[in-house]
Amino acid sequence: MLRVLLAKDLRRAWRNPLPWLINLIVPLAMTALIGMVFGGHSDNGALGRIRFAVVDEDKSLLSDFLRGSANQNQGGKYLEPVFMEREDAMREINANKISAVLIIPTNFMHNYLLGREAVSLELVKNPAESIHPAVLEELLGAVVTAMNAISRNFQSEFPEWQAVFEGKTDYHKVSQLIDRAGDKLKTVKNYINPPLVSYEKEAPADKSKGDAAKDGETKSGAAKNSSTDSVFAYLLVGMSAMFLLFLAGNAMSDLYRELRQRTFERYQTMRDSLVPFIAGKAVFTVVMLLLCSGIMLGGGGLIFRIHWQHPLALMTLAFGYTCFAAALFALLVALMPDERRAAVLNNMAGMALGLVGGCAFPANQLPAFLREHITPLMPSYWFVDTARNLQFGGANVVWGLVALKLVVLGVVLLILAAMLFRRKFKMGLRA
Amino acid sequence: MSLLKVERLSKTFGTIRAVDSVSFEVRPGEIYGLLGPNGAGKTTSISMISGLLKPDGGEVFVGGKPFWSDPQAAKRIMGVVPQELAIYEELTGRENLEFWGRMAGLSSGEARSRAGELLEALTLTDRAKDAVKTYSGGMKRRINLGCALLHHPQLLLLDEPTVGIDPQARLNILEFIRNLRASGTAILYTTHYLEEAETLCQRIGIIDHGRLLAEGTLGELQERLGGDRVFLLEADFKDASPDAWGGFLQRFRIIQKTERQLVVAAIDKRDPSECLKELLGLPVHVENVTLKRPSLNDVFLQLTGRELRE
Repeated sequence: MLRVLLAKDLRRAWRNPLPWLINLIVPLAMTALIGMVFGGHSDNGALGRIRFAVVDEDKSLLSDFLRGSANQNQGGKYLEPVFMEREDAMREINANKISAVLIIPTNFMHNYLLGREAVSLELVKNPAESIHPAVLEELLGAVVTAMNAISRNFQSEFPEWQAVFEGKTDYHKVSQLIDRAGDKLKTVKNYINPPLVSYEKEAPADKSKGDAAKDGETKSGAAKNSSTDSVFAYLLVGMSAMFLLFLAGNAMSDLYRELRQRTFERYQTMRDSLVPFIAGKAVFTVVMLLLCSGIMLGGGGLIFRIHWQHPLALMTLAFGYTCFAAALFALLVALMPDERRAAVLNNMAGMALGLVGGCAFPANQLPAFLREHITPLMPSYWFVDTARNLQFGGANVVWGLVALKLVVLGVVLLILAAMLFRRKFKMGLRA
Repeated sequence: MSLLKVERLSKTFGTIRAVDSVSFEVRPGEIYGLLGPNGAGKTTSISMISGLLKPDGGEVFVGGKPFWSDPQAAKRIMGVVPQELAIYEELTGRENLEFWGRMAGLSSGEARSRAGELLEALTLTDRAKDAVKTYSGGMKRRINLGCALLHHPQLLLLDEPTVGIDPQARLNILEFIRNLRASGTAILYTTHYLEEAETLCQRIGIIDHGRLLAEGTLGELQERLGGDRVFLLEADFKDASPDAWGGFLQRFRIIQKTERQLVVAAIDKRDPSECLKELLGLPVHVENVTLKRPSLNDVFLQLTGRELRE
């Protein structure tokens, strides 16, 4: 019976795919939007190399040093500087081909070494991007701090250094300068190493490392990846959980169409039990939601190069969650047979479950009362929290029990929905 | 033995008594017409008979057993054709029939073969693979009817199955229903079309405001008016008072009286010419007299004081 009901609904969805396509496009578009905000796809699941222009109007030894350090060692791994004139650089940034332009102004080295007036570097950020320019700004901030520190410690020797840079001194003086600089650096080293204040990562990350060490190379590699794709994986799980609720609401609203078209009534003239019909709709919803979650998590994973640590466990959890979502919205249909009012209620329920369940915001950032007393009761939280723990917390997550809990809750809600429908039909419910 | 027996069926919605102590029965091979205007209680009655609504009072017997003692057994015997088109527009005609066949308990093979038979009988074979949304109104009505017939029901409940379709399509459906009756199916047919009830049904129950006012064969209902003819007089009856016409009410039953018309039937078996002579001698200036066979509308008029078409 369930197979026949499912085949009927799948055929109907296939013949009229537009509502489903729209519902699939929305979360994919949201995922793509997040992707754009975070700079699009990249290799190794990381942020990718940041392409920016350096306009060297100083043409000095110091500016050569700054230019060169931008693409050396670790810098070269993450940064991709291109050197050009100011006009060309501005043209490139307007064409959205680079993330920022770093301008080293004329007389930068001269003024810096004289220390008579404040010098400045100019950073022009691409307004069409958010993350890459921000990263560059932070990096430049670090460079400026370092240059300030050097300036404050070596100010008295700068005139001599300037003479060295300009080739106006002999090698004895240079060797003395280097010797003195070495002494100063040694003193500074004693201040900063070893550090007096440090921090450790939180327990789940350490646990993951521990598990990875125990379980061999695969998990070790996974733990290494998690630091790079963490933001995407974290967000995508929450986004998917929230949109699956909306999709469940949409799928279950097919019950309204069945009520409106009297096909639900016709079914009742043939069968005494309402459970198969509602369960059939729930099975249809679960199938469609699994398909959508596959597209969202799988497709999103491909876009953001997320390596899902436990895909089978994640899909089992998603199955439990879709069972719950389908049954919940079946119950809402039974509670609110007015289609227009129900649309508002469904959206509110989806939003509330999503927000309080920690789908949109991390649960630990919610107000204390919600976080401690309400959020733990939300099935959306069970799913999101367990899925995130699976991704970031290693293998000791009891995902099976959570999935079972979600399925059992789904079955209970479905039976309640069937009972409520029966009661309302007997009282004369008409669409 | 009757296949369907309804005893003192009642249903109230809030303060509205939708069905008030309705009783009738339908025998095998009989079409029983439930005739009444919109809102008379026909659909509510069918909803209670088919188990969609629980009656507030009374009892429904299907195949001799109380419906609510074993609803599933009762549902296996009956087929219900709702007034609305309860079909899936995205599916083809064949897919609709097969789906509802499966819901009625047929196996996949049985549903497929029965769907083929019904498509043939409903003259829809050539459109079997087209989506129902591309069908005409009459074709949709036929599929709607067919969906209730997959499991060869002994009792068929038809709730205004010809509403909103053209005369030709209506004739096709009525012919199909006659054939069903000929094969022994008991049919409860609700309608507000007088002609359908007159030409299709063996027995007719007239229902209005939730109450069954009269029932019987067409002849029996006509007999209630005092024979097989009524007289329609046209005159100025605005100030006329039949009470004052010396024993008129002992000899004639007034079916309807308006300012311009008086419809009467002779109470006893009397010669029409004698009746006509008496009517022409009334103390009003009669402009025209028409003699006609009483219709169901006249019966309804006599029972309710208004025409069914109003």
